[in-house]
Amino acid sequence: MTNTRNSKRRSGMSRREILAAGAGGVALAGFTPSLFSIARAQAGTIKIGFPVPLTGPFGAEAQDQVRAAEIAIKEFNDAGGFQGRLAELLVRDDKLNPGEAATRTLELIEKDKVNYVVGSLSAAVQLSINNVTKERGVIFNSISQSDAINEVKDWSKFTFHEALNPHMTAGAVGRYAFSKFGKKVVYLTADYAYGHEMVRGFESAGKPLGVQTLADIRHPIGANDYSAFLPRIQSLRPDVLCICNFGRDQVNAVKQATEFGLKEKIKIVAPVLLYTARVAGGPEIFEGVVGGTSYYWRLEDTIPTAKAFNDKFRAANGGAVPSDYGALGYAGVRTVLTAAKAAGSTDTDKVVEAMRNLKYDFYKGPQYYRGCDHQSVQSVLVIESKSKDMKDKNDVFNIVGVETPDEKNLRSCADLGHKA
Amino acid sequence: MTATASASLIAFGKRHRAALAIAVLLIFPWLMPYEALAVNILVLGLYAVGFNLLFGYTGLLSFGHAAFLGSGAYGCGIALVHFGVPWFGAILIGVLVSVFFAAIMGFLAIRTRGIYFAMVTLALSQCVYYLFYQAVSLTGGENGLRGINLSEIGILGFSVNFLNPTTKYYVILAFVAFALWLFSRLLASPFGAVLEAIRENESRARACGYDVARVKFIAFVISGAFCGLAGALKALHLSIVPIETLHYLTSGQVVMMALLGGMNTFFGPFVGAAAFLLLEDVLTTMTSHWQLVLGAVFVIFVLFFPKGIWGSVLAWVVRK
Repeated sequence: MTNTRNSKRRSGMSRREILAAGAGGVALAGFTPSLFSIARAQAGTIKIGFPVPLTGPFGAEAQDQVRAAEIAIKEFNDAGGFQGRLAELLVRDDKLNPGEAATRTLELIEKDKVNYVVGSLSAAVQLSINNVTKERGVIFNSISQSDAINEVKDWSKFTFHEALNPHMTAGAVGRYAFSKFGKKVVYLTADYAYGHEMVRGFESAGKPLGVQTLADIRHPIGANDYSAFLPRIQSLRPDVLCICNFGRDQVNAVKQATEFGLKEKIKIVAPVLLYTARVAGGPEIFEGVVGGTSYYWRLEDTIPTAKAFNDKFRAANGGAVPSDYGALGYAGVRTVLTAAKAAGSTDTDKVVEAMRNLKYDFYKGPQYYRGCDHQSVQSVLVIESKSKDMKDKNDVFNIVGVETPDEKNLRSCADLGHKA
Repeated sequence: MTATASASLIAFGKRHRAALAIAVLLIFPWLMPYEALAVNILVLGLYAVGFNLLFGYTGLLSFGHAAFLGSGAYGCGIALVHFGVPWFGAILIGVLVSVFFAAIMGFLAIRTRGIYFAMVTLALSQCVYYLFYQAVSLTGGENGLRGINLSEIGILGFSVNFLNPTTKYYVILAFVAFALWLFSRLLASPFGAVLEAIRENESRARACGYDVARVKFIAFVISGAFCGLAGALKALHLSIVPIETLHYLTSGQVVMMALLGGMNTFFGPFVGAAAFLLLEDVLTTMTSHWQLVLGAVFVIFVLFFPKGIWGSVLAWVVRK
């Protein structure tokens, strides 16, 4: 646009010059799309859109998801791809904002013409991505927790859920903790969908065991100060305190409960005990806290596929081990690529069919997608945080229980509104 | 070229500002990296223009305009999802819902001025946020409203594929263009002149015999209606309504857009919205510290270009 500026300085601006400038602008615009798509690979690659919250409170987890997903891509490409077609990961930052995620998913589908979408790290974000993909008939494999995505209202045949859901995680932890530590329970819950779903999961697991809920104390999401709740919890004298929140909230709540001395008489339990949160919080704070997870790297002691995955991850990332949510990025991408290979086609309907038939063991033992809601049926680990006998700095948990894959631990298809 | 020729050109531009703006928007999708972003700019541009009726033209800084964007979006979405209203009617309902909230908030807020006005609008918009947040059965609460799925829409008896991004852009542009034209008419009317009179000197406007409180109230409601339309279109575009739409950050964002583009101009807020979203989009693909760069740009504009991007361009064209 320097032309216009110079001409303007010389004299006024004639209509002709404006037209010329306008034409220049249009010409420039013609080039713009190519300017923005330099990173686009040549036609024929299998493209997987990967929207995750690189900026925001879960940035660390999201980056780990990307690192793990890249391993699945590399593995696929090193094995020669599919009929000579290589896979490519298109990472987008959804900023943990459902609106941004919807926009980015539209970009991935409409401009980048991705074959499949894998990703997300929030219940609301995955539901928004899912709404965009299902409308356009694009496969979406979600790698973050939500109960709603399995329900008939949000679900479509293009929707897959590789991650655990709150019902499965809370259920496994509840069945372990209530039978071991006692039947009187207090919940400290972040007041939003995820927190409520966790409590519902605990309660349905506790019902057959005769568990008694003393109180369900709600705190606003993102709270820093939990000291007001702690005396009340202590005076209720529960056997178990379930802390149903996530990320920083979990670190803060556990830290303050530990400092308050709640742990002396009460067992603290968290439905999802994050590897990254534990590393950030430190061993003393989390000492003895029991929780659930989809994956912990020490599975490699017993499961060969976990060992293989960890080794690849270590080699690519300077010896670091994959986190729980990171590993889901690997599994989410690998299932889709494996299904495409098995189907002998990248055609959506055929890949959906292949994914439904998939029986896989990629990193944590056997898994498969349930027919009615495409929820990945898989093992749930119950882990306990430790401060002693650590093999190295990454060895922060003991696996104290493994709930084997079983559909009876999921909400039934009828409960979710699916026929048959 | 003579001074008179350029002066007449400027006059031409002023007279046909809405038409020129719409002409630019017609070729706009080809200037953008992808259509979904172009539609976002269209919608948030309208949101910023509507907000600027109060901010730039009446001199009232509201920190609660997310309430109108959000209630418009939810109104439209809920009508479509839960009551099966056709899309055109749903947009209308969205606008009416936001007018309803604007009337209540305006009625309470125009009694105050300056920082108190900003605080009251902020507080009231938070009330609206929690209202929608708690009504989980209608709004989806934390998870947001999903299922605003329009694959085909009927326009004048024709069935149009709304999933095609280019078609979607032009359908939404039709609404935005109409709104911009209406807005331009409104500002050119005696009512628009009264608004500016209030901004420049409220006591003087009152002394001239204008009912200042009533004019402010009407401006507040009209501003809410424009933002509500933007919200309804946003709901159709994204096919979801996230609860973040009502968040006070969305209110802050529009202030930033208006300032960045130029609050004393017709098209400035639109330019601000485009610059903001485009910059954000390009920066996020380059660095995870995009907020830092965006913040620096904003500070530079506030310090050195108080008229904003579009305001500075216009001033430069006129001065030359």
